[in-house]
Amino acid sequence: MLDRIARDRVATLFIVTVLVLLAVGAAAPGFLSVRTAGIIWSNGLVLMLVALGIFPVILTRNIDVSGGSVLGLSAVTLGLTLNQGLPLPLASAAALGTGLLAGALSGLLVAVLRVPSIVATLGTLGLFRGVMLIATGGEWIEDLPEDLKALGAKSFAGLSVMGMVTAGAILAVWLFLRSRRGGWVFVTGDNRAAAHHLGLPVKRIEFLVFVWGGAMYALAGIAFAAQIGFVPNQAGSGIELRAIAALVLGGISLLGGVGTVAGVVIGVIFFTSIDTSLVFLRIPAYWNDLIGGAMLLAVLLIDGRLRIALEARDRAARYRRSGHRISSTRDLEDAA
Amino acid sequence: MNRHLMRWEVLLLLILMAELAIFGMMNPRFLRPSSLLFGTSDFVQVGIVAVPLTLVIIAGGIDVSFASTVGLAAIAFGIANFFGLPLPLSLAVGLATGAAAGLLNATIIRLTRLQPLVVTLGSLYMFSGAATVLSGVVGASGYEGIGGFPEAFTALGYAQVLGLPMPLVVFLVFAAVLLVLLHLTRFGRLVFQIGQNAEAARHSGMPVFRVQLVTYVLTGLAAALAGLMLSAYFGSARVDLGSATLLPAITAAVLGGASIYGGQGSVLGTIIATFIIGYLQQGLQMSGVPSQISSALSGALLVLVVALRYGAELLRDFIPVRLRRAD
Repeated sequence: MLDRIARDRVATLFIVTVLVLLAVGAAAPGFLSVRTAGIIWSNGLVLMLVALGIFPVILTRNIDVSGGSVLGLSAVTLGLTLNQGLPLPLASAAALGTGLLAGALSGLLVAVLRVPSIVATLGTLGLFRGVMLIATGGEWIEDLPEDLKALGAKSFAGLSVMGMVTAGAILAVWLFLRSRRGGWVFVTGDNRAAAHHLGLPVKRIEFLVFVWGGAMYALAGIAFAAQIGFVPNQAGSGIELRAIAALVLGGISLLGGVGTVAGVVIGVIFFTSIDTSLVFLRIPAYWNDLIGGAMLLAVLLIDGRLRIALEARDRAARYRRSGHRISSTRDLEDAA
Repeated sequence: MNRHLMRWEVLLLLILMAELAIFGMMNPRFLRPSSLLFGTSDFVQVGIVAVPLTLVIIAGGIDVSFASTVGLAAIAFGIANFFGLPLPLSLAVGLATGAAAGLLNATIIRLTRLQPLVVTLGSLYMFSGAATVLSGVVGASGYEGIGGFPEAFTALGYAQVLGLPMPLVVFLVFAAVLLVLLHLTRFGRLVFQIGQNAEAARHSGMPVFRVQLVTYVLTGLAAALAGLMLSAYFGSARVDLGSATLLPAITAAVLGGASIYGGQGSVLGTIIATFIIGYLQQGLQMSGVPSQISSALSGALLVLVVALRYGAELLRDFIPVRLRRAD
């Protein structure tokens, strides 16, 4: 049982999510419905897209904290071009292009100039937010056309256009990571030097995951603008931290090379269902951060302790087989 | 001699002087001693958290939760004050809250063996959430502040010591203590050694956890100190007091020469970097750039300087060794 819980984070988190939802359903009648599922999915869209963008970056043992700023910058690009009278497809392309460029800049810093990714993306985080504020002059962008808002509204089988795009992105990441080149991403994160010696284009891989991240943040920006219908100054700020938290919950290791798409999805859904449940339980919104943060720390603590205990047990078993004796589990814990 | 001249801190000092000269040329009012001195009250809180953060980074960790700890400690102080505790006791409550936050971070990191970034990310949320919930206790819901401080406290924010503004003095004294602690004591050498290689340090019997614990607690304490100073300066304790320090403080530590991989860094560098970032924001604001944009531009500065630094190292790899020696 313990093995299962520690080794299969996705299944554990899935069970926990279901239990939480059932508990909330028991407390707030009418919560458990297809409608709620739809609400959770659409509430989680933006976070899901950002998480999908950071996911491959983390797989290569880098990190990208500029997601929220790129989201804001793309949303502003979209809003400004739309209000200039450009048609929606062109404006969306401009927003996507902004995201790609932003990702390319971070990728350049990390892959070519070898700046540590946390430092590089902390810098671009501020830089892009600054560019965004200069572009808007600090004003909110309002009066966005109706056809943009239609992207966020339900259109087919209870899914919005952006909902379908997100589902497509999830599928795309899943398919890519199963492919030969997808494997390269894991190898780079697991052991960069070894990947380099194997002849993998390590720098290009690192560069491209950042570009992919930029594209996903741009999509998140479009989804954001479509859902709320305007672009505030602080659009997306802080969402990158939520996305990283969701990824960690979903079992993606910040040490690179470990993680599944299913983990990304369940991590994001878990986070979003907590927020949505609080609304149903009529708990004031200002409890969100406390509960979310406490849950994240609790999961990390339990998971970390379980993992250490398992490692200690495995090692004890190995020693027993080879005839050594262990003085106490305490030593093992320290060694772990 | 040459070795001392080629130090990173010297370059930082040159950048600072160039920056002051440029802003001085654009706007002579900028260089007036009074505006240079009293302008520091707007940014020294960044330095106060950046200096112990430098120690955390050198010891191989990272802490992002201090941004929330600032608000949490301020709110704790505000509540203690609200319930009529005497001022010294209220101050102690605020500082203790900060220390407890650092203690919690270090303990969870130790217990889970997870990367500090993950753990402190979680506590970043939890602390700001706790602060928001706590401020609701005394009826100051949401992002409203807790005010009504005694006169003696708010006066501290504007007090002067030897003609210097109080916040600057607090920063310089605090930074001096940590400078001595890091560069001149056994503890400081342990910090560097643990950051170089925590495993090797552990195997040679160094108290790895205890040293890391102290660095996190110091950061928590510093965050509380910053929170109290900001409360005195603004006259109210708010949840989001520290949110604007997150990016500049990490920028200051990294710009000051701390390696995010641990084992490298200097308090002096962080102090100079704090002034570079602070005066950059002020200079831009005096030139009519809105404050939001100027604070974001410190990100641009970080990108530029770090890219230059790493780019230069990359270049050095291409220059043959013999040429470098002759240099």
